[in-house]
Amino acid sequence: MKSVAKSRGKSRLACIEEIRMGKKLGVWIMIAVSAVSLLLTLPWLNWIQIVNADALYETLGVTEANLPMLKSAYNVFNVLSFVQYGNAGMIGLFAMIVLILAVVAVYFELALIIKVLRNKKSKKGDLGLYGTAEASMLFQIILIAVTIGFVIFSNSKFGMTGFILSPIVYLLLIFNIAGFAIVKKMQLTERALYHEHGLWKELKKNWVLFLMLVPAFIYFLINNYLPMIGVYYAFTNFNFRDGLWASPFVGLRNFEYLVKADLFRLTRNTVLYNIVFIALGNILPIIFAIFVSQVNIKWFKKTSQTLMFMPYFVSFVILKVIVYNVFEYEYGVINNLITSLGGEKIDFYNTPSYWPLLITIFYIWKNIGYNMVVYLATIMGIDAELYDAAKVDGANIFQQIRYITLPQLKPTFIILLLYALGSIMKGQFELFYQMVGNNGVLYNITDIIDTYVYRIATTQPLNIGLGTAAGLYQSVFGFILIVVVNWLVKRKNPEYALF
Amino acid sequence: MKIKKGPSTIIFNIICYTLLVIGSIVCVVPFILIISGSFTDNATILLEGYSLLPRDFTLDAYKTIFKAPQDILQAYKMTFYYTILGTALGLMMITLTAYVISRKEFKYRNTISFLIYFTSIFGGGTIPWYLMYASVLGLKGSTIAIWFPALMSPFLVILMRTFMVGSVPDAITESAKIDGAGHVTIFLKIVMPVLGPGLATIGLFLALGYWNDWYRSSMFSTDSSTWELQFYLYDMLNATNALKQMSQNSSIPTSDLPTQAVKLAMAVVATGPVLLVYPFVQKYFVSGITVGAVKG
Repeated sequence: MKSVAKSRGKSRLACIEEIRMGKKLGVWIMIAVSAVSLLLTLPWLNWIQIVNADALYETLGVTEANLPMLKSAYNVFNVLSFVQYGNAGMIGLFAMIVLILAVVAVYFELALIIKVLRNKKSKKGDLGLYGTAEASMLFQIILIAVTIGFVIFSNSKFGMTGFILSPIVYLLLIFNIAGFAIVKKMQLTERALYHEHGLWKELKKNWVLFLMLVPAFIYFLINNYLPMIGVYYAFTNFNFRDGLWASPFVGLRNFEYLVKADLFRLTRNTVLYNIVFIALGNILPIIFAIFVSQVNIKWFKKTSQTLMFMPYFVSFVILKVIVYNVFEYEYGVINNLITSLGGEKIDFYNTPSYWPLLITIFYIWKNIGYNMVVYLATIMGIDAELYDAAKVDGANIFQQIRYITLPQLKPTFIILLLYALGSIMKGQFELFYQMVGNNGVLYNITDIIDTYVYRIATTQPLNIGLGTAAGLYQSVFGFILIVVVNWLVKRKNPEYALF
Repeated sequence: MKIKKGPSTIIFNIICYTLLVIGSIVCVVPFILIISGSFTDNATILLEGYSLLPRDFTLDAYKTIFKAPQDILQAYKMTFYYTILGTALGLMMITLTAYVISRKEFKYRNTISFLIYFTSIFGGGTIPWYLMYASVLGLKGSTIAIWFPALMSPFLVILMRTFMVGSVPDAITESAKIDGAGHVTIFLKIVMPVLGPGLATIGLFLALGYWNDWYRSSMFSTDSSTWELQFYLYDMLNATNALKQMSQNSSIPTSDLPTQAVKLAMAVVATGPVLLVYPFVQKYFVSGITVGAVKG
C-alpha cells in the first residue's frame, strides 16, 4: 500500500502502475475479509456456548416443557430463541439488537462482494466501493463488540457465567480491524485523487452547520428514531411489573393472535377506505379545480375557493360536533327532515351499513379544498398559448379540457397517487376516531389499524405487545409498499420517483 | 382576440357555476347550522331541530358558558401557550434545518434529507412513541409532551427548503461567501430577510396544527389544567353522551348537563379564532400548498 505522497519522485507511469497494483491487492484483501466474515457469521457457526447449563436453567426458572427447545450453543441469529424458551426477557432487547446488527453486517458484506464482482466504475472512481467496504467491516466490528458486551451483560444479569464466547470471534475481530485499517488507507489515497474529504474534515470546515442541526437532531431522535427501538415490545408479553425491558419474550405470538383475531378485518378496512379516498379524493378536486379555473367572475372564483377550503381548517372535534348533530337519532338534522316529511327515523349510530358512505362523504368534505388548491396550482401553470391555439382551431371548452387540461394534470395526479399508494396502510385516524369514537356497534366496518392501536393505548387493560405488533405490521407493510412502488416507478419513469 | 361563445361554452358555464355553488353550500352549511344552533333556545332544538337561521334567538348558551369561565379560559390559555411556543420554536428549528440541507457545499445534505424523509415512511408506531414520552422520559402529565412532538415534520422541513432555494439565488450566497461571510451571516443577513412568505406559510401550518390538536392531550394529559381547547370540547361532548346513557336508568338529573345549544356554542368558541383569521391568511396556505405541489 503506497500512498500518493510516498511515490512522489518516481516516474508518473510507475507511480500510476504502483497505485493500480496496490488497489488490486487492496480489493482482494477487502473481498477476503468480507467473505471470511460472512462465512463465520452465518448461522452454521455458533458464537455463543452455554456452560453450566443445569445451574443456568435453574437460575432462570426454565419450565420442564421448554427444556427440549434449548440448545447447547447459539449463533447471533437464533439467540432470541434462548431468550424466549429460557425465560430470559431481561436480555431480550440486547439479543434483538445483536440480531439486527448481524443482518446489517451480512447485508453490507454481500453488497460489497456483489459490487466488486459487477466492477462498475462511477464518477468518483472506487470511492463508493471503499464506502461499502468500510461499512461492512465497521458493522462486523460493531457486531462483534456488541456480542461481547451481550455475553458480559447476560452473565451479570444471570448472576453467573452462563454464556461464553467462541475464540473464533476474537480472531474475526482482529481480522476485521486490520481490514478496516487497510481500507481506510486506500480510501485516503483515493480521496486525494478526487478532492473529497471525510467526516472529520467536514466537521471542522462546517461546524456551524452541524451546530444548526442539533435541535433537529434531538427532535427526530426523541420523536422518531428512539421509539423505533420500542418495536421490540411487539415480541413481548409486556407487563408493567417486569418493566420496559424485562417483560417475557414471546416471539411471534402477538402476531399469531393478531392474524387470528383482527388482522384481516383491519387491513381490509384500512385499504378499502383508502382506495375509495384516493379515487374520489383526486377525481372530485380535479373536476372542481377545472371549474374554478374557468370562472371569469373574480369574486365568485375567490369566494367559492375560500368556502370549499374552509373545512380543512377546523379540527376533527368540530367535525364530530357536526356529524353528531346532523345524524343524531332524536333531533338530528336528517331525522328532523325525515319526520317533517312523514317518514320513519333512521338510527344511524346503531346501523353500521351507513358509515362507509358517511365517512367517505366527510373525508371529501374535509379535504376537497386542499387537493383542489394542488390541482389549481398545476392548471395555473399551463401555458395559456395552448388554449389560444386550440380556440383558433375551433376546439370547444370540453375538447380543451379533454385534450389540454387533463393531460397536463397527469404528472401531478400520478405523483399524488404514488404518495397515496405508498401510505395506503396509514389510516385517517382523526377522521375515523372522531366520527365513530368508542361506538362498538360500528367497529366491524369502521375499525382501521390506527383506531385499533389507539384504543389499545388508551383503554385498560393495556395490551402493549399486541398494539405494538399491529403498529409494526402497519409500518413494515407500508414501508415495503412504498419501496416497491417507488422502485417500479423509477424503472418506468424516474421523473415521478419519490426518492 | 375575441371569440364568440359557442353553445358548449354556455352549457359548460351553467354546469360549472351550478356545481360550484352547490359545492360551496355543502362545505359551508354545517358551519351555519352550528352557529345558528348555538343562538337557538335549547328547547326549540329538541322540539323542532335545527334551522339555517336561529328561530328563537337567545344568547343563553353563551351566557351559560361564560357564567363559570375558569375551565374554558384555562383551556384557551393553554392552547395559546402551546400554539405560540410551539410555532416559534418549531419555526426556528425548521428554518435552521432547512438552511443546512439547502447548502450545496454541505457534504452530508442528502444523507440528512434522507434521514428526515425516512421518518415519514417508517416509524416505530404509536405505542413505542407513546411509551417514549410517557415512560422513558416520564413526561406524562407534563406540558412538554404536548408541544414537543409537533415541533417539526418532514413535510414542513422540505417545504421550507423549497421556499429557501426559490427565494435566495445561489449566486448571491456564493458572492457573500467570497466576501468572507460565514454561515451565520448568510443565514441572518441574506436568507432570513427574503424568507417572509415562507416563514408565514410554515408558521401558519404549525399554528393551525397546534390549535386544532386534541390527540396529545388525550394521550399525555393527566388533569384538565393542561388540556388543549379542542380536547376540552371533545371531553365535554363525550362526557354528556356517557352521562346521558347512565341517567336513563338512574336518578342523575339531566338538567345539569350541558345542553345541545351549549355544546354548539362551545364549538363556536373553540373554532371562532380560526375562522375569523382564515380569510386573511388563506393565501399563505395556498402558496405553501402550491410550492409543495410544484416541487413534490
